[in-house]
Parts: sequence; C-alpha cells; structure tokens
Amino acid sequence: MTAGHDQLRWEGQRAVFAMPPEVDITNADQIRQGLRAAAGLGAPVLIIDMSATNFCDSSGVQAIVDAYNQVHARNQGAATRTALRLVATTVRRILTLVGVDQLMPVYSTLEAALADPAGPFGENTASEDRPAE
Amino acid sequence: MQVGGAEVAAPVSRAALEDRLRGIQSITDTAMSRLDDRELLAELLERTRAVLQADTAAVLLLDFTSGHLVATAAAGLEDEVRQGVRIPVGRGFAGRIAAEHRPVILDRVDHSTVLNPILLAKGIRALMGVPLVSGGKVIGVLHVGSLTQRQFTTEELELLQLAGDRAASALGSLMANEDRIAAAGLQRSLLPSALPATAAAEMAVRYVPGNGKVGGDWYDVFTLPSGQLGVVIGDVVGSGLAAAVIMGRMRSALRAYALETAEPEQVLSRLDRKMQHFEPGAMATVLYAVFDAGLEHVSICSAGHYPPVVASPERSAELAEIPPGMLIGAIGSARRRTVTIDVTPGTLFCFYTDGLIERRGELIDDGLSRLCAVVTAEPPETGCAAVMGAMVGSEVASDDIALLMVRRRPAGPQR
Repeated sequence: MTAGHDQLRWEGQRAVFAMPPEVDITNADQIRQGLRAAAGLGAPVLIIDMSATNFCDSSGVQAIVDAYNQVHARNQGAATRTALRLVATTVRRILTLVGVDQLMPVYSTLEAALADPAGPFGENTASEDRPAE
Repeated sequence: MQVGGAEVAAPVSRAALEDRLRGIQSITDTAMSRLDDRELLAELLERTRAVLQADTAAVLLLDFTSGHLVATAAAGLEDEVRQGVRIPVGRGFAGRIAAEHRPVILDRVDHSTVLNPILLAKGIRALMGVPLVSGGKVIGVLHVGSLTQRQFTTEELELLQLAGDRAASALGSLMANEDRIAAAGLQRSLLPSALPATAAAEMAVRYVPGNGKVGGDWYDVFTLPSGQLGVVIGDVVGSGLAAAVIMGRMRSALRAYALETAEPEQVLSRLDRKMQHFEPGAMATVLYAVFDAGLEHVSICSAGHYPPVVASPERSAELAEIPPGMLIGAIGSARRRTVTIDVTPGTLFCFYTDGLIERRGELIDDGLSRLCAVVTAEPPETGCAAVMGAMVGSEVASDDIALLMVRRRPAGPQR
C-alpha cells in the first residue's frame, strides 16, 4: 500500500505517521492499512500525527484503535516495545470522548510528542501534556 | 496456465467480433434495467455463453461477511448453484480472480488449478474468468468454460470483461439498492414502535436516516421489571446493511443484559465482551441510562458516546458531566464508570447521535454549544421540534440523526 510510504517518515528513531485533513469512511481503510504497516515496523516510538486533521469520524477512531491493538499485540514478549503517541488539536475532543486518550498519550504539538523521551523499553514516559486521569 | 497472451490467432474476423460485441451489448441496455438480479444474471449468462460459444457460464458473488464467493447463477453448470458452492477469495480459479482483481485464463483444468469439484466432474477443459468490479471493489466473478480443449483468446477475454463490466455496474447498483432497502427496513423494525408510557416520564423522539447510506444509529427505551426506565442511544461504526445488522444484535444483547443487572457499567461491560467475542472488529458508541421509577435519579454510563444535554426549569441547558468511556469493541477490558445524577421535577434529558451536531469544518464544541443553546426544559415533543428546527433546518442530513428527549413530569397540576 503506497499510503503507508507517503504518510510515514522518520524523526530519528521515531516514526511519524501523518494523518490527512479529513478522516472518514472514504479513506479510513487506506489509513488503517498504512497504520498497520507502521505499527509492524517495531519503531521505539510511533506518533500518529493528527495536527493537520480537522475532521475525524468514527471510522477514523476505529483505525486508530486498530493500530493500538496491533502495537499492543506486537509488544507482548518483544524485547523492545513500541510506544504509541497521538498529536491532535481540532479533533482532540472527539478522540477524548471515545476514550482514545486512555490508550495512548495525546499531545497538542508534534514537537511535544517528539521531545518526550521514550523509556528504555520503548514505553511512554509521563508527560505534562498528558491529560490527568 | 496463462493470463491473456494466448499464442493462437484469433479464430474469428473483426466483423464477427463486432457482431459478438453487439450481442453482449444487447444483454444490458434495454433488458437489464427492468429485471431483478436473478433474471438479470440468467439473461446475462445465456447471452454470454452464446456469444462466446462456451459450454458453461457462471457468476459467483462475493459474500462480504464471510469473504467467500458464492455461486449465484449458472448456465450449463447449474449444480454449482444448487449445491451452494462457496470458494474462499484467494483460492482456486475464481478465488484467484477475485483476490488479484484480474482476469485468468486456464487451459488446463485439474486439481492444481481449480478448487471446485463440480468443474472437474463436469469435464471442463478450459476456463476463462473476469472480476466483476463495481465502485472500485470486486463484487464477484464471471466465468465461462469449455467442455472441449480450447484456447480462449485475448479478444474473447476482452468480450467477457466487457460483459462482466456491464453486469457489474447493473448488479452493483441493484445490490446497493437492495442493501439500502434491507438496511432501512431492518433499522425501522428495530426502533421501538412506541415509547413506553410511564407515570413519571414524558418522552419524544426524532429519527432521520442519513441521505443515501443508512448507518447504525439506534435508540431504545424500555421499562424494567423493577419499574425503572432504561434508555439507550448508540451508533455503530460504518453504514449500510452490515452496520444495521450489528446494531440489531447489540440492541438485543443490551436488552438481555439490562434484565440481568441494573448497573449501567455492568451492562455495557457485558455488551463489550459479547461484541468482542462474537463480532470482532465491530465498534460502536453506546450510552445507557437507567432512571428510577419516579425519575428522581438517573444512572448513566457512556461507552464513547456524547453526554446528554440536561435542562431544568431552574438551570439552562448544559452537558451532563459523565466520564468519557472507551467505545464498545475497542480493547480487551475497558474500565467503565457509572455516574448518578439527581433529577428534579421538570428536568429534561436530551440524548442524541453525532449526526445532530457534527458538521464538517466546525469544531465539535461549537456543535455542542449550538445544541445547548436550543435545549430547554419544555415538553419533549415541542423540544424535539425546536432542536430539529434549529440544528437541521432544511438541510438534508448526510448521517443518521437520532434524538430522544426524556423529561420528568413537572410538579403541580400542569400537564
């Protein structure tokens, strides 16, 4: 799937998957496949970058949850785990509403997501940007 | 086995080919539009078989839920349909065509190239098949066969593809239409025909299916043996018949769990477990609220669904403070929490689905604010009318909209 290659780039050890301005039923399948491919890379940190996204319906949420489940399954027993992070501004509210922020830390900017160091096993460290429980 | 590139010269002249082409075209233009899918396929197969001078012709349609190709119509190969032949996508002759999205010509038919024993038993020596593609998706496979040794040519393959393309577009719209009708019918049958009458509650509802594609929005209201009032509102991810079917299953399951326990978070956790086991991959937002018989309190748990808007005679409308919960079908064991809210006389709860408030190019918070601005503690029937008027107006909704209002009867003599 070419989508994965177009949307994925590396920032050092961190993989950044750029989400399009609108995520809905028309492109959610493609995004899910791209995210799956990205989740399978074994990067210490995978950032789903939705900073340019201003519309995300439930099929987009489904694609993100799918990526979480992929990473979660892959992390079981792996020596180095992948930490998932999400960057969202406009669509943050909807992602919080459906509980995505319980699956991975959500940041307001890509810079903040990149700056947060990953733990020795690839897990997320605490972040001030992370919403309090 | 090879695709296309047959070395044999075309056995027919261009004029003869054009004749054949006209034959194929005649299959569709006039006749097709008036036929139902079964007649359409039978007619298509007869014509295709005649035009290509083949011995057999068959259509297998993709069953999207199982990922199998199902023999749906056949000429000269009727047993395929009678015996309900099913071919997994990716395997065998037809399965390969569907998986790879391209035509296949077989000049050797044996166990190594075909999966379906009927093709072998029938004594078919050569096969040629094309994918049926509608809206960019494979919806099935059309193939023809020869009982004598034969090399199908690229010209013949093109003819078959032409027939296949025409069939696919006719079938695609026919199936989409049937899907839509079935989904709309199913959805209608699953929504309550009447709201339950209770002494303490006044209720009203609006339900508007989305333009073109019906989704999986639903609401449900029922009284429990304890006298409590259960209120459900939910939205299955996706649209069409598949979403409507999931919605129906969730509705039944939720009703069953509602009889087992009065705790909303328990009901939703059990529903979640059930969905993950029996409908893996399906997701939905669901909110379940239980009012006590006198409507003095309500316990609410949300699985990723928008919180209700609450308005009372004393206070203007605001969103109920409910912790967001993971949507149903997402992860193994989501933590869920129920919140209990006091309900004073005349207080109104407005439950809704995203179609009411989500507009492209607008922040969700703006949609929620617009909704809060228009909800008041008036009688639910006029309240629903006011909200639909303000939020929808004369727009054609692209997404389903469900709106349900429940008000505790005001104190005093007023009705």
